This record gives sequence, C-alpha cells and structure tokens, in this order.
Amino acid sequence: MATRNSVFANPKPCEHLADYKLRHGLSGYKSIQKWLKASPYGKTGIKMCETKIPTCRFRSGFHQGRLFLCLICSSMSCSDHTLLHAQSENGHDIAVDIERSELYCCLCSDQVYDPDFDKVVVSKNIMDMPSKTHDSVVDDLMRRSSKRRRLNPVVDLDLKRSKLLVSMMDRRAKSCYPLGLRGLNNLGSTCFMNSVLQALLHAPPFRNYFLSERHDPETCKKRSSDQLCLACDFGVIFSAVYSGDRTPYSPAQFLYSWWQHSANLASYEQQDAHEFFISVLDGIHEREGKGRNSNKDNGGCQCIAHRVFSGMLRSDVTCTTCGFTSTTYDPCVDISLNMDTTNFSSVTVANKSVREDTGRSTLLACLDLFTRPERLGSDQKLYCQNCQEKRDSLKQMSIKRLPLVLSLHIKRFEHSSLRRSSRKIDWYLQFPFSLDMTPYLSPSIVRNRFGNRVFGFESDKPDISSEFEIFAVVTHSGMLDSGHYVTYLRLQNQWYKCDDAWITEVDERIVRAAQCYMIFYVQKMLYCKANEDWSCTPISTRRDPFVPIAGCC
Amino acid sequence: MSVPNEDNMSPHTQLSSHFFGELLDSIIVDVASECHRIARLGLDRNLEEEEEELRLSAQARVTVADPSNSGETNGKYVVDIFGQTHPSVANEVFDCMNCGRPIVAGRFAPHLEKCMGKGRKARVKATRSSTAAQNRYSRGSPVSAYSAYSNSTGTNRLSNGTYNHTVEEYSNGTCEEP
Repeated sequence: MATRNSVFANPKPCEHLADYKLRHGLSGYKSIQKWLKASPYGKTGIKMCETKIPTCRFRSGFHQGRLFLCLICSSMSCSDHTLLHAQSENGHDIAVDIERSELYCCLCSDQVYDPDFDKVVVSKNIMDMPSKTHDSVVDDLMRRSSKRRRLNPVVDLDLKRSKLLVSMMDRRAKSCYPLGLRGLNNLGSTCFMNSVLQALLHAPPFRNYFLSERHDPETCKKRSSDQLCLACDFGVIFSAVYSGDRTPYSPAQFLYSWWQHSANLASYEQQDAHEFFISVLDGIHEREGKGRNSNKDNGGCQCIAHRVFSGMLRSDVTCTTCGFTSTTYDPCVDISLNMDTTNFSSVTVANKSVREDTGRSTLLACLDLFTRPERLGSDQKLYCQNCQEKRDSLKQMSIKRLPLVLSLHIKRFEHSSLRRSSRKIDWYLQFPFSLDMTPYLSPSIVRNRFGNRVFGFESDKPDISSEFEIFAVVTHSGMLDSGHYVTYLRLQNQWYKCDDAWITEVDERIVRAAQCYMIFYVQKMLYCKANEDWSCTPISTRRDPFVPIAGCC
Repeated sequence: MSVPNEDNMSPHTQLSSHFFGELLDSIIVDVASECHRIARLGLDRNLEEEEEELRLSAQARVTVADPSNSGETNGKYVVDIFGQTHPSVANEVFDCMNCGRPIVAGRFAPHLEKCMGKGRKARVKATRSSTAAQNRYSRGSPVSAYSAYSNSTGTNRLSNGTYNHTVEEYSNGTCEEP
C-alpha cells in the first residue's frame, strides 16, 4: 500500500512503552539488532537461530500464529499468550513481532511505534546491504534529500514579462471567454492531432514560452536553411489561437511540417493521439535539443519540450537471492499506464469467461500498479553483480523527478497473443482533478519497501511541487481503429469541450464521467499562477479591425 | 472457496488445510500490520481528498447516465460558445503549401497525402496508366476503394449524415470542391 504523505505524526507511546523506555532505553533494541535480517523483498524479520524453529513457550503442538520476542527475557510467545507472559512476568510488556520487526505492547495488545527502534532497524538494513547498493537506496532510507536540485525553469517561463500579453489584453476579444480558446478545423481524420494541440496550447509553461516569443523564427532560419521547425510552426499556431479571432483555425502548415518530420506516420488515416504527442515533442527536441543545449549540469536537455514535459523515472532491480539492488534512471516525457485489469469480475457469457467492468478502476490504482514490485519471470533472470550469476529478480519503478507538466497515457489497448488481435478497453477510469504524486516518488517507494520506518528527528515538509492540478483531458470514443478524440480543457475553473471546430462549455461532471485516454496535469503552483494571469476581458461593443491570418499558416 | 469440514478430513488433508490457514493468516496480519503503521503514523493523510474525488466521480457518472439530464449530447451542436456554427466538413479554403492549389480544409489531409506522395494509395501511382486504372477502379466501386477513408471521415460527424455525400465526392476522382 503506497503511502500518501511523507509528513508523519510522531506517535505518542502507550504508558507501557514509555515506562519501558525510561527503564531500559535503547539497550533492548540494540541487543536484538544482531538478529534483524532483511529479506531481499525489504521485509525485516528476526532470526535468532539457524537450526531451530521458534515456538511459543506456552504451547505444544504446531498451531501458533504470529510469534513475539520479549525484549527483556527473549522468550517467545504467540499472539494468544503474549498477555499471559506480560502478566506473569512484571515489566515484560514490550515484545517484537519476529516476522515484521514491529514493536508490540502485550498489555495493550496493540502494535506500537518508537522512532528509536525504527532507527535501529534501518541502521541494520543499511549495514547488511550488499556493498554496491548503497547510495540511492540508503539516501532514501535515511531521508537524505537529492544532491542536486534541478534549476527551476519556472522563472524563465513567466508570462508577465511577455509583451504579447499586453498587446492581447488591448485587443478586444469577441467575447468574455478566455483568450486562447479557439476551435481547430478537422483536416480529414485529424482529430487525433487537434486534441493534442488543444492540450499543448493550454499547458501553462509551454504556452508561456511561445507567447513570450522565446522561440525566435529569425534565429531559427539563420541557424539552418532547413525550413522544417516544429517549434516555429507552434509559434504560428499560438499566435493565431491567442489572437482573439474565434473562427476555427486550420493547422494545415503544422500537419505538413509534422508529416515531413514523421514520414512513417504521414498518411491520411486514423492515428493515435499519444503517438502524435510523442512524435511532436521529439520533433521539437530534434531541432532544439541537440548538441549545444544538452548540458549535464543543468539537469538535461534544455529544449522547451523537455523543460516542460520531461521527468525522470527510476528502476530498481533487486536480486531475490541476496538483496542486491541495481538502480537505473531514465528520462521520460510521459508515463504510460496499464489499466488495472485485476479490478474486474469474471462473468461467464455463452460458455466463455468475459471480464466485466466493475466501474471501480482508478488512476491511482494504475499508478500503484506502475510502482508495484514486479517479479520478473524465471525466463528473465538478470545478472546479479553480488552473486555473480543470473538470478530471479524483482523490478520496481518509481519517479525520481516530476516534470512541470505531467502527461499520463492510459493504455487502453489489449493485445491478445492467443487471438493475435488487439482490442480497446472501454472501461471507465476514475481520475482526480487534484493529484498528489508523493507516494509514487522514489523516496516514498523505497521507504515503503523497507517497512515505512520513521525516525522522528527530521521534519519532512510536504513538497508542494508534487501536487498537480488537471488542465486537460483527451478522451477517445469508438473503436480501436475508428473513433473520435475530444479534449476537455479547464480554464479559469470552467471546463470547455474542444471537439475539432466546436468549443462548448460543459459541466465538470461530464468531464469526470468521460473515458479518459490522456490526462494532463500541471504543477499546482503553475496552475494557480496561470489562473491569475488570464482574467476575462470585457465584451467589446465594437469590432476591432484585424488582419485575417493567411489560411495556410 | 468453501471451508472444509474438519471432521470428515483425513489427517493429510487436515494438515495441508492447516498450513494453508496459517499462510493465509500470516498474509492477513502482514497487511493489517502495514496498514496499522501507515494509519497510526499519519502517512495516509490524503485519504479524505481521495475519497472526495471518488465520490464526485461516482456522482458525476450517475448524473451523466441519467437521460433526463442531457443538456449536452454527443451528437449535434447548434452553436458554439462564440455563437458560431460549423459545417461537418470544414469549408475554409487555403492554398496547399506543397502544390499551391486551393484546397478545402476538411479535405486537406487526403489531398496532402497524395500531393506529398505518401500513404498507401499514393505510393502505387507511378505511371499515367496505373493512375488511370486506379480512377477506373474507384468509379466502379466507391465503397470498397475508399471504405477506410469514408469510415474515418464518417465517424467524426456520424450524426450529421454526410457519410454518403463524402463517398460520392471521392468516386468522381477529385478531392476538391468547386
């Protein structure tokens, strides 16, 4: 079970534990430390003797249940007899669950907590770790903050410094609706493109970059004679969409440029919005990010696509024999989540087992699934540096660094190797409007693996950069190869439906009930700021003359 | 899974049943112990917010499913928020940036595909004779030749009934509207 919050309450000890601490301090904890043994799966148990099975001293026969080791006399009692032991021996109140190394008060008959005990357990965990595991896992267990803070690029993407903002506020829009709300014409099965463009057009840091004219087409042309630059095309779209003109815009030039970039995807047919999204970010990066922009000290590529969307995933592979963990980091521009297909009920229809949607699948469950330790099959044995041979392993993903804009992609396609076909999973997936990503960050995941031990001397303030607010949802309706994409945008706390050329207002309930395919969240700080920047402009009584933008650009 | 009746079991079955029970108990206690720690130490602070989100979503689904509530339907729109109405096939006209011809927006993608020499149909085209053969084929059986296209354009505006109209246009061998 993933933990939601890194701020813990320093637990108040029961009177028996308090009494025990007064009289014995840490001596009891330290005396059992040598018997603490963590399994490669992270669970710490107590093993006193290699040759004998521990048994309850009050029982004969094999039925015993959970065993507790008395901290004073080291005798074992099962859960039925701990009270008896505490009553018969004065002061023998505190015991330890030998399966999980949790403190237990025999008189309260309850699990109790002591940061000093947790510290003893974690110290032993660290001592026992195969040598090369150290840094990443140890840092997380000892709650050491990551060494390098990535430079917060928010400063660069402040819209208030934009000249364009001033000029736009002057121009009277056709209505009092937020600027930047404009339909996109369907150019022939291009709703996959329109839906993603709408989301990008309203991703605060991405939008601010282009509206501040940070991407200069002049410099771009000077750098290379090659006409193709998706960022330049984006600049054009941004100007058009935020111009105040409300008639639907045709992103034809963008389609043309994109097809030149992604030759393999250049065809007139239904396409996948997620594939388009990745392809477009890649296109921007290719042009912007190569060479001069890549700077390891700055935390990676500085192209706008990566600065806004790129985060870092961490993968821990643990040898199930010796516990050695090897950690690797990979950047990502989005996270693709499998649907939680365990949350289904099996129904028999016409002699075939069919999975029925229970309606209870949630985004958080998908994230739990994503960060759950996964047992790699015995055909996927990995080489363990410690054991020096191939071993069965556990793999666990976690998020090392969150991006400014978090894009979550729901894998709604199911491939059946049996029937050699794919189908779409139409089930409803609940998704929140406010999302706290803390439980999926690497420190939370690693600490969870080792039993959520807490020490008490560090104050972990909740990190607000883990809090996200939704601003766009791309939904898909229909079949795998013929369907329709629609984007819902949240602007100034009002939801709008962007269905190609049609922009309509919708109630948030419509959005909550929709079948999500891609969900876009932005860091809460940036979301609140974006809401401030864009207040309604008043209705104009006369039309402003404006130059119509040439249709094909 | 039904609970076995202890009296009727052989000692062997009793033993394996007992072991299973022990294992199951152990797992249950593990989960309970872990949750106890998380709850007791306040590591699960956001539970209320999560439950609120779940409640709102459940409520939303009920409201949306109720047919009497549909102010917003999937089908036709009358006007958008700016008071505009739009045809099912976008009718803005602009010049193709590849060949320079004026193209209707809603047919731009299929035009561009051929224009750029990409896509399945375009790749076939090499000589005049093969192009002619293609045109003959298309006139003869519009549905089979363009079924993929017509499906795609059709689903965008299923309710507007422009499906057939679109197919006819293609079968004439031209993509542009006069």
